[in-house]
Amino acid sequence: MTQSYDYDEGSETWPFFVLAVLCVVLVPLTLMQAYEIIAAKDEDSSSQSSPLEKLSEKYTGDQVKRFRAKFAPKKSKLLARRNLVIIAGWCMVAFLINKIGSNGAIKDAATLLFDPYALLDISASSTDREIRSAYRKLSVKFHPDKLSKDLSADERTVLEEQYVMITKAYKALTDEITRENYLRYGHPDGPQATSHGIALPKFLVDSSASTLMVLGYIALLGFILPFFVSRWWSKTQSFTKKGIHARSASYFADRLFNFKPSQVVTTGLILNWLSHAAEFKLLYPDLTQETFESLLYDHINRRHSGELETAKLRIVAKTHALLFGLLDIATTFRNLEISTVAIDTFKSIVQATPLTSHSQILQLPNVDAKRFEEGSVDDIRTLGKLFTFEDEKIGKILGIEDETKLRETLSVAANIPHLKLLRAEFTVPGESVVTPLSTPHISVKVLVRSAKHKFFTPNKIPDELYKEEQDFDSLRDPFASLSNQPALPRTFAPHFPAKRSGCWCALVVLQKDGKVIQTPMLVDRLSFANLNKDFDKRTVKDLEKEFNPEEWEIGTIKIPFSQPAPDQKGDYYFRVIVKSTEYFGADLDFTLPMMVRELSEVEGAEKIADDSASDEDDSDLEDDEEDSNDELEDDEDSDYTDIDTDTEVEEN
Amino acid sequence: MSSNYSDFNSTFTEDGGPTVETKVVSFYTPLLYVSILVVSLAVFASHYRKKTVQELSRLPSMFDESVARDLYYELKQMSESEETKVHEKVLKAALLNRGAEAIRRTLKLKESEPQVTMLYKNGSVGEEYWKRYQNEVKLVDLEFKECIQEAEMMQPGWPQLFVGVCREICFNQALKRRYQAILLRKDVFAVQWDLKFDDNGRLLE
Amino acid sequence: MSTDLSELQYNPNSKLLGLPHSSEDVTMNISQINKLTQDLVAETNANFTPQPHAESTAMIKKMFENGLKQTQQQKLADALKSINLAIEMAQRKRTTWEAFAVQLQELQFMLKNRVDLCLVQGRFMDALQDLDFLQNTGLNSSDVFIRKTDALIKLKQYEQARAECERGLSLDPTNVKLKALLIENTRRLAEYNGDI
Repeated sequence: MTQSYDYDEGSETWPFFVLAVLCVVLVPLTLMQAYEIIAAKDEDSSSQSSPLEKLSEKYTGDQVKRFRAKFAPKKSKLLARRNLVIIAGWCMVAFLINKIGSNGAIKDAATLLFDPYALLDISASSTDREIRSAYRKLSVKFHPDKLSKDLSADERTVLEEQYVMITKAYKALTDEITRENYLRYGHPDGPQATSHGIALPKFLVDSSASTLMVLGYIALLGFILPFFVSRWWSKTQSFTKKGIHARSASYFADRLFNFKPSQVVTTGLILNWLSHAAEFKLLYPDLTQETFESLLYDHINRRHSGELETAKLRIVAKTHALLFGLLDIATTFRNLEISTVAIDTFKSIVQATPLTSHSQILQLPNVDAKRFEEGSVDDIRTLGKLFTFEDEKIGKILGIEDETKLRETLSVAANIPHLKLLRAEFTVPGESVVTPLSTPHISVKVLVRSAKHKFFTPNKIPDELYKEEQDFDSLRDPFASLSNQPALPRTFAPHFPAKRSGCWCALVVLQKDGKVIQTPMLVDRLSFANLNKDFDKRTVKDLEKEFNPEEWEIGTIKIPFSQPAPDQKGDYYFRVIVKSTEYFGADLDFTLPMMVRELSEVEGAEKIADDSASDEDDSDLEDDEEDSNDELEDDEDSDYTDIDTDTEVEEN
Repeated sequence: MSSNYSDFNSTFTEDGGPTVETKVVSFYTPLLYVSILVVSLAVFASHYRKKTVQELSRLPSMFDESVARDLYYELKQMSESEETKVHEKVLKAALLNRGAEAIRRTLKLKESEPQVTMLYKNGSVGEEYWKRYQNEVKLVDLEFKECIQEAEMMQPGWPQLFVGVCREICFNQALKRRYQAILLRKDVFAVQWDLKFDDNGRLLE
Repeated sequence: MSTDLSELQYNPNSKLLGLPHSSEDVTMNISQINKLTQDLVAETNANFTPQPHAESTAMIKKMFENGLKQTQQQKLADALKSINLAIEMAQRKRTTWEAFAVQLQELQFMLKNRVDLCLVQGRFMDALQDLDFLQNTGLNSSDVFIRKTDALIKLKQYEQARAECERGLSLDPTNVKLKALLIENTRRLAEYNGDI
């Protein structure tokens, strides 16, 4: 074993090293990229199309279109860069492989392996007999005594060497000691000289270049690496897990902490809080908080901001993440008023319509606000009320004279989704009733309907349509079935800087103290198929005849419940508020009791119900109570009799 | 003096391979190295600790204002500087106000504790906020103790009654503030709901 | 973060503090200190306790009963005025350190009567704010919810009325009046939404 170190003059080692590093980086990157491309294609195909998408595009102003062109394709830019890096990387790999292949020294090193099977010209799985016969045959050919006299000295030596190798090969396969050597060291003669090398060419390590190398390493380890690590660390530290700047989150938390309950929450208050966000200041260090606030007001009132127009669009685009962050903090502080007004402010920003009692109408395009406010005979505040009038009359009410514009406005109004509650309950997967300390979730069946549709009560839909698949997977993960619903289509939001699909935020409130109990759950999957149905309230005369429940698609919303069910039997009331972030009037708000019962009671009640076969609810309730009373009495009796027997035994 | 010396144990002859150089290393070198390391670490540690303490003291309070406390000290300063004679009852009133505010803050911090902890655990809020909260708890506690000390100085033996009285004052002040907010709320709601009222408070259609 | 108190004014005769152009928080604290000063000036005992003063209780009660009498005589506007006076007297006469429980109960009782008077006279917004106050200070009985739902319906805020009514029912599920109000509110909501 020598202790000399050879430098890699023959380019034998460093190509492998570089190849390994490149592969480690390239293979995951390529896989990630391929996956993203496939996933993006999937996304596009699964989300629903909606007439609102085209209309939204049509009504989008030039300013916003230019802004989107400038700022939106950041994604594809990044993709292009990454693609270039991947392609360049694989080119390097190909070059290196070629270089390795053409390098004679490496080839030599590889071929110097001792392969006894190849030398004896037999396959790897030959028996001893075959090995011996092969050896005899070859030794006959190559034995020095058997060689012809005509060969030159060189040729002789070559053949003699070959004979030595053949003998060694035979020995390696048969003789014990040689075989051991071969197995352990790869060569029958025992340990070979191994050379240790440094995978660097000599010029880098010796003489002047060496100081440069050392300095280079010091710079890399001591300065460059810490710099990048600390920059990455401070970047991750400066943003919270919810995606907003830590200072913005602190500001919102401060406002919520110091919030006086006597203060009324208005959208103005939320906009004021938003204007203090650190993200805005980082984007535009020269502008003040007052400017940001006025820009937000400009956007909501659809005013042009002059030279600050791009700034306005950029900060409005940022409000999306900020509002979700604020909502998260507000719900953790259990404040219901701020949570609801924050979502209303979100609507206001998305639709660029101030929050007033007429917002539902004013969010529509082409509406002449002055004509509308002055003209209305009845006080029309909802889209549903608007659709009780004929199309022409609606045109007059909204102050729209152009035929096409009116048609488009009506199309938008008819495609705004409204949620109608069909059924809601607390369910525990696999059980028929909520037992104490179980983990229930809230299952809500909704109907997505248009304001144009005629109203029908939920009991018109028969029970069978509500049934869900109850297989093992659904018991293990009850929320998996939600992904069967399509993703939400694009929102009609021509004034918002970016294209969006939005969602509904589901808040759960404890009715006893009127406070929010958990962070909101975002609903981003619901089928809007019902909106295309023609069930106009103005034309449907006979509900019984014309209504066919099978044609209507029932949507499901499942809200996880953050706490286990209370351990006492009883009725606990909760209020569920499902608010849309996109449209006014698309909300749902209802009260839901959680009826915690003991399992044994329910089974007893079911038995009695089967026996008596009575339909009245009252008698069932009475049976429940009677059953539970009976059980109690039985227990008491048995205790009593136990005591009696004990005393009897003692006396005896 | 030590030198590196190696034995050769090769299967084939050495033919002028690179000779191993011996380097002369002083005995004190490792000691020097270790001492430099330790000293620099110690300096860094003390510097860092001083910096964190400085940062903590510069952190803004969780409460928006400290008016009650400032008013008391301003009045105290005024009475001590003798330019305008402040009656002792005014000073007492300022101290009671300050004590009531301190009690309000302790209660507020205690009731927000589970929510702030959850915010921090969920990562909704940064490290700095959590530090501020813990700092604030200590500061408010200190502030209340100071109040009691001032009360003792003003009227010996008063602190026992002082605490009980401050509690009542705190709640009654909150009640009055909430009651006085009623007028303002009426206006805000009228605007929000687009309603108009006549002089008798009746709704105008 | 200390406040700018350089302009603080002190009147040695009235012993009151003043600070012009000050923020909301500073004004609030100054008025609180002034009230405490006045209470302390009137208080002779240096070791005062939260014990409520009997004379104040008697005076307030008398004023309030005056209002009740006027209600019975159907002089509703006067009754409202009397009750307002009684409340004002309570705010002025009672020292800030008198037992909170007593002061709260007194105020809540007087406000309940004021709410009824307001509702009868059509002053729905006033009634609503008083009801909000009662709820915020811990009074969650069904009659508060009944009156609040009624006031909200009269003010045409049907969504909020529904929320209040449902909350009232969740705390008292068998209340007949609340159930009736819920049905009426649902009808009005349906009309509001164009569902009828």
